[in-house]
Amino acid sequence: MAPSVTKRRKLSHTDNGDEDDAPFSERFGGSPNDTDLSADDSTEVEDAVESDGSMASEDEEAALAKEEAHEGGRGKESIVNQKIRSQARRDPNTNKRRADIPLDGVYTAEIFKSNMFKLQVDELLEQVRPEYGQKQAPAENAMRSLKAIIERIPSRDPLSVHDAERYLMISSKVATPFPHPRPPRDAKYKLQYDRPSSINVAGSYPLKMATSAGEKLAIDLVITMPSAMFQDKDYLNYRYFYKRAYYLACIAAGIKESKEHKFKLTFDCLNGNHLQPIIVVSPSGDGSPDDFSGSKCRIHIILAAAEQTFPCGKLLPEKNCVRPTCSDDENSAKTLDPTPIYNATLKVDLSVTAYLKLLHATSSRCDAYKDACMLGRIWLKQRGFCSHIRKGGFGNFEWAAIMAMLLQSKPGAGVPLLSSGFSSYQLFKATLQFLANRDLSRVPFVFEANDTNLTRTEGTPIFFDGPRGLNILFKMTPWSYKLLQQEASIAVKMLADSTFDQFEPTFILRADPLSYRYDSVLEIPILSLIQDINEENFNKKFSETCRKLYNVLLRALGNRVTLISIILPEEETWPLGSSKPFVNREGRLLLGFATDSVNSERTVDHGPAAENKNEAASFRKFWGEKAELRRFKDGSILESVVWSQKEGSGPILKQIIQFILRRHISADVADKAIIAGNQFATLIPSGDIVGQSGTAPFLSIMNAFSALEKDIRNLENLPLQIRHILGADPQLRYSSIDPPRTVTHRQMSIPASIIIQFEGSGRWPDDLAAIQRTKIAFLLKLAELLSEHNPELTTRVGLENPSYPSQNQSFLDITTSSGHSFRLRIHHEREATLLERRLKDKTFDGTSREAAALALAVYKSSFLRIPAHTQAIQTLCTRFPAVSPSIRLVKKWFTSHLLTPHFAPELIELLVARTFLQPYPWNVPACATTGFLRTLFWISRWDWRYTPLIVDFSSAEERAGMKADEPTAITTRFEAWRRIDPALNRVVLFAASNLDPEGATWTDRARPAKVVAGRMTALARAAVAALKDNESMIAAGKASLLALEPEMLFVSSLTDYDFVLHLAPRYTRAGKAKKEARADNSMFKNLQLQAEADKGGELVGYDPVTLFTDELQEIYGHAVIWFYDTEGGDTVAGLWNPAMTARRSWRVRGGYSSVPLAGTGTRRGKGEEVTGEVDGVEVEINKEGILNEIARLGGELVERVEILKK
Amino acid sequence: MPSLNPTRNVAPTPQKVADYIILPLTLPSLPSLQTIAKHYLYIRPHAPKLPDPDSERSLFIANVPIDATEEGFRKLFAEQFDGGRVERVEFEASVPQYPTTRKRKEGSGGQNGVRGKKRKRDDAEVVAEGVIEDEETRLPRVWGREVRESGSSAVVVFVDRASARGVMKEIEKAVKKGREIKWKLDDENGLGVKRYRTHHSLTFPPKPILQASINAYLTAFNRAEIARNRVRARQRAVPDEDGFITVTRGGRNGPVRIEDAEAAKEKLEERKKKKGVMEDFYRFQVREKRKEREGELRRKFEEDRRKVSEMRERRGRIVPMS
Repeated sequence: MAPSVTKRRKLSHTDNGDEDDAPFSERFGGSPNDTDLSADDSTEVEDAVESDGSMASEDEEAALAKEEAHEGGRGKESIVNQKIRSQARRDPNTNKRRADIPLDGVYTAEIFKSNMFKLQVDELLEQVRPEYGQKQAPAENAMRSLKAIIERIPSRDPLSVHDAERYLMISSKVATPFPHPRPPRDAKYKLQYDRPSSINVAGSYPLKMATSAGEKLAIDLVITMPSAMFQDKDYLNYRYFYKRAYYLACIAAGIKESKEHKFKLTFDCLNGNHLQPIIVVSPSGDGSPDDFSGSKCRIHIILAAAEQTFPCGKLLPEKNCVRPTCSDDENSAKTLDPTPIYNATLKVDLSVTAYLKLLHATSSRCDAYKDACMLGRIWLKQRGFCSHIRKGGFGNFEWAAIMAMLLQSKPGAGVPLLSSGFSSYQLFKATLQFLANRDLSRVPFVFEANDTNLTRTEGTPIFFDGPRGLNILFKMTPWSYKLLQQEASIAVKMLADSTFDQFEPTFILRADPLSYRYDSVLEIPILSLIQDINEENFNKKFSETCRKLYNVLLRALGNRVTLISIILPEEETWPLGSSKPFVNREGRLLLGFATDSVNSERTVDHGPAAENKNEAASFRKFWGEKAELRRFKDGSILESVVWSQKEGSGPILKQIIQFILRRHISADVADKAIIAGNQFATLIPSGDIVGQSGTAPFLSIMNAFSALEKDIRNLENLPLQIRHILGADPQLRYSSIDPPRTVTHRQMSIPASIIIQFEGSGRWPDDLAAIQRTKIAFLLKLAELLSEHNPELTTRVGLENPSYPSQNQSFLDITTSSGHSFRLRIHHEREATLLERRLKDKTFDGTSREAAALALAVYKSSFLRIPAHTQAIQTLCTRFPAVSPSIRLVKKWFTSHLLTPHFAPELIELLVARTFLQPYPWNVPACATTGFLRTLFWISRWDWRYTPLIVDFSSAEERAGMKADEPTAITTRFEAWRRIDPALNRVVLFAASNLDPEGATWTDRARPAKVVAGRMTALARAAVAALKDNESMIAAGKASLLALEPEMLFVSSLTDYDFVLHLAPRYTRAGKAKKEARADNSMFKNLQLQAEADKGGELVGYDPVTLFTDELQEIYGHAVIWFYDTEGGDTVAGLWNPAMTARRSWRVRGGYSSVPLAGTGTRRGKGEEVTGEVDGVEVEINKEGILNEIARLGGELVERVEILKK
Repeated sequence: MPSLNPTRNVAPTPQKVADYIILPLTLPSLPSLQTIAKHYLYIRPHAPKLPDPDSERSLFIANVPIDATEEGFRKLFAEQFDGGRVERVEFEASVPQYPTTRKRKEGSGGQNGVRGKKRKRDDAEVVAEGVIEDEETRLPRVWGREVRESGSSAVVVFVDRASARGVMKEIEKAVKKGREIKWKLDDENGLGVKRYRTHHSLTFPPKPILQASINAYLTAFNRAEIARNRVRARQRAVPDEDGFITVTRGGRNGPVRIEDAEAAKEKLEERKKKKGVMEDFYRFQVREKRKEREGELRRKFEEDRRKVSEMRERRGRIVPMS
């Protein structure tokens, strides 16, 4: 069957096919909420809105009238259905016409990102859509009773402001929530209450665009105040808002006095706008008939006014509506500053109906609109945005309104930006593109209002909706707009990723936790910014201060940061009886900085040239005594600022912030401010990014390596030409925890592996063992030639793998006079062929074929994969400065939890590389801490049983990454592994990259085993949970920024293990390093040099602890799961493998040291003595005996054996 | 004394299992581990399936301690079992496990060759691969003292039959009486740091010694290679009893490069491709191709749908994080 276009159409809705078939009446008007609440049914859709025009909300998306949904909705349904039908009729023709177009897009690939993406989106929408019907019935009942109560509230006669407020307080104990400044005592106007002209449910709930994920649903009950209450000039000087506040207080009092219910009432501000108080109705929670806690929602009672109450022109953004108290002269209005926020707030109250109309019309015109709105909601929520002024001022309503307007064509401007034929995903993506690509703060978007001249404030975005005369983005601040732009552009980038579907980062992950999103966070107590927090115009002053803070920091930090964001403490609702609480005295301002890793640690800031008088003066004024005139190498003379790089002066970012706060804000603020940034970097040596790269500590070894390479290439008389010399060691890819050589540690203790490959030659023997001998002969020759060529090099040939004759047998250690050591091995391609041949040869027994398979795997990883991996990581480290310290920090985490013996270093590096190559939903990490924390976060969510890790190194390069079929191939391979090994006995983690599509290179042979991988996940989860707790404490103002000690994430208790071996520190690497450091301070320089010369590199690579632990693995690896720190720690912990240690019947070859026990068989007969019958004897692992053996094996290496569990 | 195996106190340790005597050894108390622990040997007279002259005067010991050495056993029997004189001890498995270098016996198959390296079909005298290593040709040892695998066995060969029997009786007596037998630390041939230090030195054998060993090996290898070539040549030339000629390696200079063969194959395929008929020439071809593509798309879609539903089953609902 050729898929018809009908099919295509269906899929292009986000609704499932079957849902599409459902009658619209059911989806639209059938829910019980629209039956009772609306008294009068209107007949025509348009009329419903216009005549009734009563209910609306400015809060969430705009509103859909009940009435409309009820009858009008049904009328609508038939139209829509007809449309669909007629389209279906036309379909066959279209089908024919399109027959020769390739049908690749039939199944959603074009209109959605991919099938998977679409299916997941469907699933997601399904889940977040609140259940209408049974579950919401209590809430709807509650709304009905609220409506009845409100309708019965008696009118109150006009009273003077003072009397009205006092009377309400005395009679009902309700404090009128007047906005600041409070109304003057001598106000001439009166406050009154009359029956509302309409009461309606509005907002996203009746529109069915609400989402119910996590937070409680808010249902808006909009009450329209009668127009008769207001006078012409009420839009001036807060008069409207005073009347509104009184009206709200009257409603609150009315509900409170009614005895029919048990609702809990509190005041709040709509979207944090103090001009718009609202009533929040919460369920009583006691199971009474009114209790609607089962519906998991709150009801917001919101006030609105009729649209024509005030003339539209007076409320445009550039007008002033708050006249100074000293003069009442109307004529001076033109010179007064505009009051855009005041005007817009008032406008919002008036245009509730207008937006309701707009959104409803759009949703009926464009099928996918609702779903796109829901996607937008989810996306915004996961980024911490909402309509609340303190949370960005960009929420669901703003999203829906912008999309609705972009769907309309601008007269004369050609095609609209969005088309109603788009799928929900296309709408969503195009809206994001609009947000990402336009700078609305520079070029305002004006919709159908060409003659309006808009005054602009620096950094504030404008999206002016002409017909309704409102700047939709009026609540946004410069920083929240920047953040929104950045988030949108990240989202556009990740949706453009053709390799991975990126569904999770787009909709599932939360992007707003401080520790993942920002590299540094600054904390300032509000009290230090503004002393008098009880002041009347606090709000104004506060927002001015924030703006100033933002501006000076922005100028001072320049391109060192990519984002500065101000996070304000949350406000709470307050009880009816009291006035709005003042700002919390303990409140703190948080400023998040996302830094640019290349620029953030720059020491010199260049200013304008000295000749440029004006700019230079401004620069000097800004920087004060810090500014100096400097002459630079290129001859230019520039104003500049220089920062100290000395130890103890702290990160440059911190220095700048401190200086700027002191100079431009106040000394008090500078003293009380706390700056937290990259705290975890202190846990590893040289963890901070110095200058412009994170690879500085490895500079010397890289130089030494290239010098050695040159030496080897310059050798004459080598029997064969060299093809290449490659690094194959963490130390040569900037990712060993400790830099190879430090000031106190001049001799590298572990030689860095390198691989040499000669050109092909037919003179190699065609025999595995003989090849190994020939390699040794080569190494001997190489050693001889090298020593001749450069007498400063010490060389010696070493042997390895005595138990595995088919693996590599030899290496050459080369130590330079500077203290660098390299371990060189020869790569010979023929080995692989011979091993493969042996693997396939049926004449060999199982053991030797098994050995061949192992040798082949070892060959592939050590000669092919590791060098390739090393190069890839090298490139990545130079490309992103934070990669190297992040890898080292993550390794430190693994090793601190004693996990390193189970995880190949390459695997850990891949985990970190993923954080940088697929950083979504964030930008690429700019410091070690964010790199580390985000990696942990990913690990904590890694469902390794069902998901492979796929890293695409090529995505960092210019030409875009993997082809689409590569991940598919990798996934197929992964699934194959899971099919052959469903119990995860062999491959537990699966980590592939474009360089290594096999995926099991680093994790084959249960490295790590399932239980260890589980421990990794558990530890990562614990760390992530600790971070989250800490973050919520910070958000609640209960904890300081520095409350979480970085070390906390690196300590795990030893009590989970069965026993622990404590090694003598004098043999461990860490212990030795400490001793050396101590010796370094006490010894004379010459003696010290002598001591080092004596060693002569003899002990390079000698590490008894590693030898000991390797032997433990080899001897007891099957009976004990070992945990230790491969980086020289002094703890070796063990867990008895439960599979091996269980009691079982006796066998000659037990596989481990056993203790014989009288079996259950003998205990059966009472009188019988213990005899030596086989069936009567069982064995158990001899734990004491084995521990004793281990202690004997370790000798003085083991200081103490601690038995934790018996 | 804290016991790791509390169940053991329930019933006395058995003294015999099958035809093995269970001999408990008291392990030395160590500075790092003060507890008193026991190790259990399972001992019986050696009775291999294919008896050899030595088996009469040998004892088979299972579950030897990892630090067991020939010297250790010699002392154990001499001092605590009344003068049993040990000639040698053959251990079953040790760490590191060196490949054995015993010579292969006539007609006994590939079992005792260099760890199965030899092929069964080869002529008796010639090893299929490498050379049979001896003292001269093998690589220098890098470990001073070997240790045993946990739970492995050993065969103790005594000087004569009487000695072996005497010791066996002595053991039975000791077990019955409950005499304490001690496993002693072998201080001279120390374990621990000293052993690792020795290993580190041995890892880097002096260059001349290494060179000599390599030279010896390569000479032997060349000799073996010549012998092998001769055998192969003969096999190529002479049919066996059934009249077949064995296909063997060689026959021309140097081994065939598999890479070359693969490259040639690729080239051939490429040439074939170029020559092939145009694939979208006929209408039916186009139609079929499209059908195929549609089918593929549908299949993929179904697959994805299945995946998502699996995901849902596994993780529950897809819900944004809170």
